[in-house]
Amino acid sequence: MEVFNKLNERFPCRKNVLKTLTNLIGHSEEMLPAAIHIYGHTGTGKTTLLKNFFNESIRRNKNKLNVAYVNCVESYTSRILFENILEYISGAIADDIKTENLKDFVEKLRRIQSQPEVQYIISLDNAERLRDMDANVLPSLLRLQQLTGLNICVILISQLPLEKFYCKTSIDDPITIYFPQYTKSETLEILSADFKNAQKLIVALLNRKKPEDLSTKLEIVDTVTREFFNNYLNLFLGVFYKACRDLSELKITARKCFTFYMEPILDGTVSMSDVSRLWRCIAGQLRTALSQVYIRSGQPETPVVNNDKEILKVAQSLELPYYGKYLLIAAFIASYNSSKEDKRLFVKNHGKRRKRLQNVNANAKVTEKMNTYIGPKSFSVDRLLAIFYAILDEKVGLTCNLLSQISTLVNLKLLSFVSGENVMDGTSRLQCTVGLEFVICISQVVGFNVRQYLSDFN
Amino acid sequence: MTDVMDPTISVSKGCFVFKGTSSAKNSGATKRKHNDDNVSALRKQMTGQPYYSTYTATWQKLESHIEALQSESYAKTLEDLVTYVKNECSAEGNMDTYDMEEIVPAAALLTGVNQPDHLEQFATLTQRILQKMSASVCMLQSRDCATLKSAVETMVYNFVENAERSPPTELEDEDTEQREKKRLRRTQCNMRQLLNWYRRKYIKPQLQTGSEVEDAADDVSDACESPTKSYSKRPHALVVILPDFECFNTAILQDFILMLSAYYTHLPFVLVFGVATAVSAVHNALPYHVTSKIKLCVFKTLTAPVCLNEILERVILSPKYAFNLSGKAFKFLTHIFLYYDFSIHGFIQAYKYCLMEHFFQGNAYALCANYTASLNRIKDLTHEDIESIRRLLSFRPYVESINDCKRIIAILTDDSYLKKKLPQLLRDCHIHFMLLRIFLEFFTVLVGDLPKCPLGKQRRELYSFCLSKELRDQPEFKECWQILSFMSKDEFVAKISKAISVTEDFMSAEIVGLELANDCMTTVTSKFQALKALLTRVVMAGTEDKSPTNTAAPTTTPATPESSKQQKFTSRQDLKDHLLQMSKQQNKPTSEYAQAVAQTLLHIQNEIVVCHLAPLARAPPLHELFVFSDVSTVRRNIIGAPRAALHMALNNPHYYLQCKCCQLSESNQLLATLPDLSVAYKLHLECGRMINLFDWLQAFRSVVDDIDNEQEQVDPQIQARFTRAVAELQFLGYIKMSKRKTDHATRLTW
Ligand SMILES: Nc1ncnc2c1ncn2[C@@H]1O[C@H](COP(=O)(O)OP(=O)(O)OP(=O)(O)O)[C@@H](O)[C@H]1O
Ligand SMILES: [Mg+2]
Repeated sequence: MEVFNKLNERFPCRKNVLKTLTNLIGHSEEMLPAAIHIYGHTGTGKTTLLKNFFNESIRRNKNKLNVAYVNCVESYTSRILFENILEYISGAIADDIKTENLKDFVEKLRRIQSQPEVQYIISLDNAERLRDMDANVLPSLLRLQQLTGLNICVILISQLPLEKFYCKTSIDDPITIYFPQYTKSETLEILSADFKNAQKLIVALLNRKKPEDLSTKLEIVDTVTREFFNNYLNLFLGVFYKACRDLSELKITARKCFTFYMEPILDGTVSMSDVSRLWRCIAGQLRTALSQVYIRSGQPETPVVNNDKEILKVAQSLELPYYGKYLLIAAFIASYNSSKEDKRLFVKNHGKRRKRLQNVNANAKVTEKMNTYIGPKSFSVDRLLAIFYAILDEKVGLTCNLLSQISTLVNLKLLSFVSGENVMDGTSRLQCTVGLEFVICISQVVGFNVRQYLSDFN
Repeated sequence: MTDVMDPTISVSKGCFVFKGTSSAKNSGATKRKHNDDNVSALRKQMTGQPYYSTYTATWQKLESHIEALQSESYAKTLEDLVTYVKNECSAEGNMDTYDMEEIVPAAALLTGVNQPDHLEQFATLTQRILQKMSASVCMLQSRDCATLKSAVETMVYNFVENAERSPPTELEDEDTEQREKKRLRRTQCNMRQLLNWYRRKYIKPQLQTGSEVEDAADDVSDACESPTKSYSKRPHALVVILPDFECFNTAILQDFILMLSAYYTHLPFVLVFGVATAVSAVHNALPYHVTSKIKLCVFKTLTAPVCLNEILERVILSPKYAFNLSGKAFKFLTHIFLYYDFSIHGFIQAYKYCLMEHFFQGNAYALCANYTASLNRIKDLTHEDIESIRRLLSFRPYVESINDCKRIIAILTDDSYLKKKLPQLLRDCHIHFMLLRIFLEFFTVLVGDLPKCPLGKQRRELYSFCLSKELRDQPEFKECWQILSFMSKDEFVAKISKAISVTEDFMSAEIVGLELANDCMTTVTSKFQALKALLTRVVMAGTEDKSPTNTAAPTTTPATPESSKQQKFTSRQDLKDHLLQMSKQQNKPTSEYAQAVAQTLLHIQNEIVVCHLAPLARAPPLHELFVFSDVSTVRRNIIGAPRAALHMALNNPHYYLQCKCCQLSESNQLLATLPDLSVAYKLHLECGRMINLFDWLQAFRSVVDDIDNEQEQVDPQIQARFTRAVAELQFLGYIKMSKRKTDHATRLTW
């Protein structure tokens, strides 16, 4: 019960879940359920809550509880999974936990000499990865209590509901606990509990910057009340909640924006009670922060001027060597034209295209599926080079430097191989992965008109 | 040291074969006749030569200069990045994600697309981090990360192994480490190992000192504070650098990051991504559930073209070095850079190659050094060297300019006489190039920012322009001059005075410490004095002249007196008359101001442009010693053209093999002595798209087998040779066996 109270205080809005958890595994005298499945969307606190729950429980009764908390992402072989679990549970060092397979694992567990009152909990985060392992792993884990005869419980933590775990070999249904997403008021409550941390962040930043009147500023920070912070959070959520429901995202952004919110107060320009002026000060910054939500990109602290836009712009512009640009354009043209059109587009005197009525009709129909909307088609390296030479005015030799540009573009993920990555005879096929806007932008730089060569536009 | 001269250093990806063979041929056949069997003796002989020592000295100076410059330009970004990493690892620094133990700090370093250069950059970063803080750094390249398993193994292995290699701080640790080393095999590496290693090495020692306090605090302290405590327990950061972010398989990268985030509670990782394109690459590669586990901070380095400009202007065009590139060679190298690869490393290697080629022309080229150094070298010149000097192209006009018969003969035949003359000649060259560089500065300010930049705006463009063409006669030059003469007075005066002051600054910064500086300075100052005098005339001209200065650019200053006058006009007629008068004045071809400007420009043209920004053709005698201009050799050797090389090799094997048996009188001749592959290749050139194997075989046989026996069975040996040649052609990608038509091959090249 103590555990429950403590956690309930630290993690608001998780009362129900905590209660269920305590009922299931919070009593040291009782037999544990064989398996529990915990699921919920990302950021609902599954990992944090359970970790804390275990830590607290272990602290209460040290010798009677044995917990293994393992993240399955790491387990590219089942062997690593087993060994990780065993290391936690038996507390032994590498040598005696060598485990080849599931059988070994169960055997090792069985051999643990245990007093009947000791409880074992194996908790597997990102449990959906278990499905990629050998088919017997998941069903056996769910039945581990039966197999080993220990007082053991396996907890699966995942973002996926149980249905997604059903496989060919049937599994015993575990108990499921669902972590629902937080409502707006719950979010507010949780964020408001974060008050102390936001305050600490400001103090830390101040300590790092070391302005002259540090002590007065620190005093001001001290006087900030919970109420004031809640007011701020209301403003903040008003802007952000529409765009973002993810708790950790909100938490980080709320802390960051709170430092901006406090800035005019610390400078002494605005008083703490003047909410409307504070709002005016923060509104712009909230908006820029909103445009960056989920991007989570900070900047180095030295450039003092707040030039978000600048950096974004520079970051998004891409510099390529001259021929690299042309190659990319050629690739784009090759991807979005059918090779039948090449002759018409690139050969100077290709003979007039006779416009028959039929043709016109067909064209009218085709407009509905413009090539540029369909997505890139693949093309061979030979065709790429042919188009490259056709659109480039100068004559350049087919040199290594030029060919290595193709591989550079592939490395930069601007082109991608469809087939024949290791074939060198020019028949390997590539695809252009950039969009029309991007290519138009690049071709403007080199003074080239792509539209002229796209069959969609003429 | 010995391999410095070795020209097979890779310059760009994938052209080693051609380069190697051709340059070997080059040095072997044409330059120096040497026996292949005593290569090392040859090396020794080579390194002893004066030209070689001059080469190494020059290169070392250049290289260290470039390195200093580069580290200076990376320094700021690196410093920021290191500070960030350091901050994130301190308890105070990452307050913004305090108590969120799953969020790994990450930095994205936008490096630009010149990928060959990145590894060096990251090596420097690694060093800086290691200097600044207690950390282990692991560079994880995409090629090591084909699977999550190999990624983890490589990372763990690197961390543990690197730490072991660095000298152990405490002696008592040594034998446990020794044991560990023995036990560590790459396949055994996994995260658990890393965790154990980290605990053993960095946490235990701490716990031993302060364990009791910690234990006591454990129960008492508020549980809220546990994260801080765990941070303070993590004294040593683990920095993972992914230098080529775009090349990673995204699925593996995602898992990798999720995994690091899962371990972040125990192991203080910091990620550094080297992003070549743009930040959006990170977001394209990682879905939200992964980016929510990192916090990203973006850093930018200078773009490659900017870096290159800096190197060009500060090092390669520096007056400090006697070695120069001709306009063409210079343009050629920058062209590769700007048009093909953006690789600074590649550029420097190519430049080095030019340097090697230059000095390799002979010992006479040892004179291409500082003035005093070259003076010392003169007495060591042999007759052969002197002869090679006499053969220089610019030597002939020099001889012709002498009008004393005896002296001509002396110069042509008497070595010691020429040696006596050399110092003066070398001096002229040195001064010529220094003045060129000084006035390049002047000229850049003058024309670099004109509208549309007819001559180009960078020093490098102007430099190669000046050296390759007679500037005065170029239409671009005339256009510039026209624009200059149309400038308003303020602009013009400001421009010229700025050009003068920039040049003077340049002299005091770069020239003053050099030899022969005084001679240069006197020339420059005298020219500038004349120029300044002319400029004052321009200034004066404006104030005396009441008429509007010119039609193109109306100036405000002369117009004001007019406007005050205008108010005095009483009748319309007066005004009309006045306007008429004014328009007449305007049409008058040259006002005083325009004249002054024209004079100034003429002075600049005659005294500066023509004298000092002269094309190489008018450079002083023996300038070839200081200028490298053999572009075609460089082009042949540093630009890999595999198709052309293969064609050459197959069509005319003699070119590479240098054997007696394969000498061809014309290129499409067929000899029985040619290698089989070559015969098959040449035959296939004559075919259409489809090649009948049987016909081919017959043709092949008729070439290699001189007995004329059409009817008989084909000798199985010949058939085998043919089959092999065909297989090799197929391997080289010239043909493909046709599936549609039996016994036919398809040609793949044209
Ligand atoms: N009720 C709560 N009170 C306070 N903080 C919470 C609460 N729920 C979640 N958090 C915070 O939200 C963040 C995200 O939680 P957590 O990482 O546990 O989510 P998760 O469900 O494991 O997500 P994922 O499925 O992506 O692993 C944590 O920093 C945690 O502190
Ligand atoms: Mg989780």
